[in-house]
Amino acid sequence: MPSLGRMPSQDNPDDRIALLQGTLDLLILKTLVLGSRHGQGIARSIQRQSEEVFFVDHGSLYLALQRLEDKKWISAKWGVSENNRKARFYSLTAKGRQQLVEKTSEWQRLTRAMGLILDGRPSSEEV
Amino acid sequence: MFRRRRSADDFAEEIKSHFELEADELQSEGLSEEEARRRARVEFGNAQTAQERFYLRSRIVWFDNLLHDIKFAIRQLMRNPSFTSVAIVTLALGIAANSTIFSWINSTLLDPIPGIEHTSDMITIMRGERSEHPTPPFSYLDFADLRDSTRSFTGLLAYHDDYMTITGSDKPERLYGALVSSNYFEVLGVRPILGRSLESTAPNERLGTAEAVLGHGLWQKRFGADPSIIGKTIQINLHPYEIVGVAPEGFQGCKSGIRSELWIPVGMDSQVWGEGRRIKDRGTFWLNVLGKLKPGVDHRQAETELNLLMRHLVEQFPDAHQGPNMISSDPLWRSPFGVNVYLSGTLPVLLALALVLLLLACANVANLLLVRSVARRRELAIRLSMGASRWRLVLQLMVENGMIAMAGGGLALLLTTWTAHGMPAFLPTTNLPLTMNGSVDRTVLLATIMISLLTAAVSGVLPALRASSLSPMSALKDEALSISGGIHKSRLAGGLVVGQIALSLLLLVCAGLFVRSLQSEQNSNPGFDPNHVFLAYFDLRPTGYSRAQGIAFDRQMLTRVKSLPGVQSVTLGDFSPLSFTIHSNIFEPEGYVPGKNESMEVDRGEVGPEYLQTVRTALIEGRDFTDSDDDRARPVSIVNKALADRYWPGQNAIGKRLHIAGRWRTVVGVAANGKYRRLVYDPAPLVLIPIFQSYQTFQVLYVRVAGDPLSYGSSVERTIHGLNSDLPLFSETTLSANMRIGNAFERIAAAVAGSFGLLALILAAIGVYGVVAYATKQRTHEIGIRMALGAGKRDIFRQVLGRGLHFAGLGLVLGLMISFALTRYLRGMLYGVGTADWLTFVMVAILLCVATLIACFVPARRAASIDPMQALRTE
Repeated sequence: MPSLGRMPSQDNPDDRIALLQGTLDLLILKTLVLGSRHGQGIARSIQRQSEEVFFVDHGSLYLALQRLEDKKWISAKWGVSENNRKARFYSLTAKGRQQLVEKTSEWQRLTRAMGLILDGRPSSEEV
Repeated sequence: MFRRRRSADDFAEEIKSHFELEADELQSEGLSEEEARRRARVEFGNAQTAQERFYLRSRIVWFDNLLHDIKFAIRQLMRNPSFTSVAIVTLALGIAANSTIFSWINSTLLDPIPGIEHTSDMITIMRGERSEHPTPPFSYLDFADLRDSTRSFTGLLAYHDDYMTITGSDKPERLYGALVSSNYFEVLGVRPILGRSLESTAPNERLGTAEAVLGHGLWQKRFGADPSIIGKTIQINLHPYEIVGVAPEGFQGCKSGIRSELWIPVGMDSQVWGEGRRIKDRGTFWLNVLGKLKPGVDHRQAETELNLLMRHLVEQFPDAHQGPNMISSDPLWRSPFGVNVYLSGTLPVLLALALVLLLLACANVANLLLVRSVARRRELAIRLSMGASRWRLVLQLMVENGMIAMAGGGLALLLTTWTAHGMPAFLPTTNLPLTMNGSVDRTVLLATIMISLLTAAVSGVLPALRASSLSPMSALKDEALSISGGIHKSRLAGGLVVGQIALSLLLLVCAGLFVRSLQSEQNSNPGFDPNHVFLAYFDLRPTGYSRAQGIAFDRQMLTRVKSLPGVQSVTLGDFSPLSFTIHSNIFEPEGYVPGKNESMEVDRGEVGPEYLQTVRTALIEGRDFTDSDDDRARPVSIVNKALADRYWPGQNAIGKRLHIAGRWRTVVGVAANGKYRRLVYDPAPLVLIPIFQSYQTFQVLYVRVAGDPLSYGSSVERTIHGLNSDLPLFSETTLSANMRIGNAFERIAAAVAGSFGLLALILAAIGVYGVVAYATKQRTHEIGIRMALGAGKRDIFRQVLGRGLHFAGLGLVLGLMISFALTRYLRGMLYGVGTADWLTFVMVAILLCVATLIACFVPARRAASIDPMQALRTE
C-alpha cells in the first residue's frame, strides 16, 4: 500500500498511522485466514505485516475482537500458546470468511477510487 | 436473541495473558525481563481504559447507572427536605385530582354495567325523541318482533325495572328488581354462580314462569349465602317464585348506577305490578332494550336495520305507534338510561380541569427545580468539568424528578383511596338504589402511575435541560464572583409564572361559572315551596289491601296526620318533585291535532287532596283537588300553565278534556308552572290527576308543618303505625333535602371545580411568591447598591411589587384569552349564567390580582428593609 502514507521511521511513533474505523476488523479477519491466533499474536502480525506502519491500539483491538465475536464472524476459546501460556485463541467462522471476501473487495474498490482522485491513477496495480 | 455475555473478569484475564505473551516475545528479542514487562505495558496503552470500555459496552451499564442515580437522587432529596416535601405535596395534589376523577370515570363511564362481558359490543336502543330522561321505549310485542328478525345482533334483551317488595315474612323488604326477557343473562354474558339463568323460560316468555334469579347481595344478606337456596321459594309482591339462580357478585342489572337485586321473567308483569295489559299491548312502551352486536357489525348498520324493521311495524300497526319512531343507539357509557347520561357530560369536563390543575402543579415544581438548579450550579459545573456528559446530567436530574413524582403519585394514591368514594357524599339519603361511586382498582393504579411519570417528564424536562446547559467554566467563575447571575435573568421562570397565573385564572373562571350556575339553579323558583315539608315514602302493596281498602287507609291517614299539632296541611303523591320519581304518559288533549310524529308524552303525577295548597304551588284558575275527587265523582285533572299554553293557546283550559291514563278527564284547575325533574330544565307541561281516581300503592305522604319538618317524624310514624303496625316507611325526609338528588350532578361539578379553583389559586400564589422572593434574594447586592445610591425604601418596595404585578398582568391577559376561548365548551352544563359571564371573569381577575399582590408583598417588604451596608458587605 504505497500511497497510504509516508514510509515509517521506527524511531518516530508519530509517523505510525492510527487505523481507520472499520479497517481493523478487516485486518483481523485477514490475519486469521491462516489459522487461529491469540490477541497478542494478531496485534504483532498486523504491525509486522504492515511493515510497522500501523499502530494497533490494543484496547481497540480487544474491543474489535469482542465485536466480531458478538457478530459470530470469529469464535474464541481458551487454549495454551507455544510457550505454554494460557491464551484466548480466535479463529474465523464460515460467516467471517465470507465477510472477509466481501470486505476485501469493498476495500479495494475504495482504495482504487481514492487513488484515482488523489493521484489521477489507480492506486494499486494489482486491481 | 438472548446471548450469554462475557464477564469482565474473563476479559481482564485475556489482557493479562496478552502482557505475558508480549513480554515473552520481547524477552526473546533480547530485552531483560523487567524491561520486557514495562515495554509490554507501554505498548498496550492503558489497560484500565480498555477494561472500562469493555464494561461500558455491556448493556447492563444503564441499569447500574440508574441504580446509582436513584441512590444519589434520594441522598440529594433527603438533604433538602423542605424543597422535597413541598414538591411532593404539590404534585400529589395535582395527581390526586386526576386519579380521583379518573377513578370515578373508571367505575361509571368505563364500567357502565359491572360484571358483563364485551361492554364495547353492547349498545342501548332508543325509540323516539331523544331526552335525558327517556321513558322505556319499547312494547313487548315490538321488542319480540325486532329480536326475532334482526340480523345485526347476536342477541337483543329487554328489561323493565322498578321497586318490588319481598313479602311472606315478618320483615318485608323493598328493593329494586327487573322483569327481564328470557335471554337476558345470556346476551349479557352473565353466568349465575349457583343454579341457572332464565333461558329455559323462553317458550313461555309471554305468559311468564314463576322463577327468580337473586342478586348476590340479596342472597348474602337475606339468605345468609345459603348454598342450597336453589329450588326454594321467595314471595315477591305476594306471589311465590322458585329461586332458580344466584347472580355473580358485582352484577347489578343493566342500568348504569342503579342497583337491581332480583330478576324475574318479563311475563310475570301482572303478578308483580298488576299490569296484565302491558305485555299484550303493542302501544304500551315499558321495556328498555339492549343488544349485543354481531362481530363486524357497527352500531350505525344496526341502527339502519332496526329502523327498517321498525318502519314495517309502524306500517302494520299505525295506531300503536303514533309518536316519533326513529331508532337510535348509544354505547353504554353514555346510555340515556341510568346515571351515566348525567355523568357522561360532567366527568370528562372535570377530568380536563384536573389536567389543567396538574399542569399548574407541574409549573410550580418546575419553578422550584429551576431555583434549586441555580443553587446546584457549582455541583453540576464540577460534574460537567469532570467529564460527565450533558446527557448523564439530564438523566440524573430527571431521575431525581422521577423520584419526586413517584412519591407524589404514592401520596396521591393514598388520597385517592379516600376521595374515590367521595361521590355519594353529594347524594342525599335517598331510597333510589344509586350505586355511583369510584374505587381504586388496578386500572386506577396503572393510570396513577402513568400520570405520575407524565408529571415527572412535564415538570422536569425544561429545568433539567436548562440546568445542564451551563458551561462549566462560566458557571464556576460566576459562582465565585457573584451569586447574582441566577434565576432573575431566566425568562423560563418568568414564563412559568405567567403560565401559572393564566391556568389558575382558567380554573377559577370554570369554578366560578359552575358555582354561579349552581347558585342560580338553587335560587330559581321551582314552582313550589320546599321548606317545612316532611316526606314519608311507603308502599301499600305488601299489606295486601284491595284498591278500596287502600283508599280508605289513605283517607284515614290523611285525616289523622292533619290533626297532629303543628301540621298545617297534608297530601299524597305518587312522586316527589326533583327526585327522578315523576312518571310520564302519552296523553291526548281535546281539540288538539298533533303534528306528524309529534311526541305526546307528558309528565303526569297522581296526587291527593289539597296537593297544590300543601306544596304551595299557585293556582291560576279553577280549584285544587278535594277529598271528594274519587270514583264517585267525574274524572278530573289539573294542568299547569305550560300545558295550557302549548295545547290550548289563547283558550280557557278550564272545562277542556284530556285523555290520560286510560280515561277522559275534565280540567278543573290551572296551576302555575313548576319543575319536577331537574331544576335546570325549563318547566314542562304537567297533568295532575287525583290519586283516588287512579290509585298507586307506592305513595309519598307530604306534610306541611310549622318548624323543623324532621321533628315530626316520630309522631307521623306513630300515627301511621296506629293504622297498620306492619307498614314499613322506607324513607323519611324533607322535601328540600329530597330534591337535592335532582341537582347532585351540578353540586359535584361545582364542588370539584371549586376546590380545583381554590387549589389553583394557592398554587399560583405560591408560584409567584417563590419566584419573586428568590429573585429578590438574588438581587440583594444590586438592591444594596441602589439604596446606597439613594433609592428609598418606597422605590425598592414599589419595584419588587411592580415586578410581581407585571407577571400578574401578563398572566391575566393570557388567562382571559384562554378562558374566553375555552369556557364555551361548558355551555351545556351551565344554568342561568353565560359562558362569558363578565361578573365571574372580573371577580376572578380581581381575586387573582389580590392573591398575587399578597404573594409579592412579603418579599417586597423584605427587600425594602435591606440594610445597604450589610447587603454590600455580604458579597
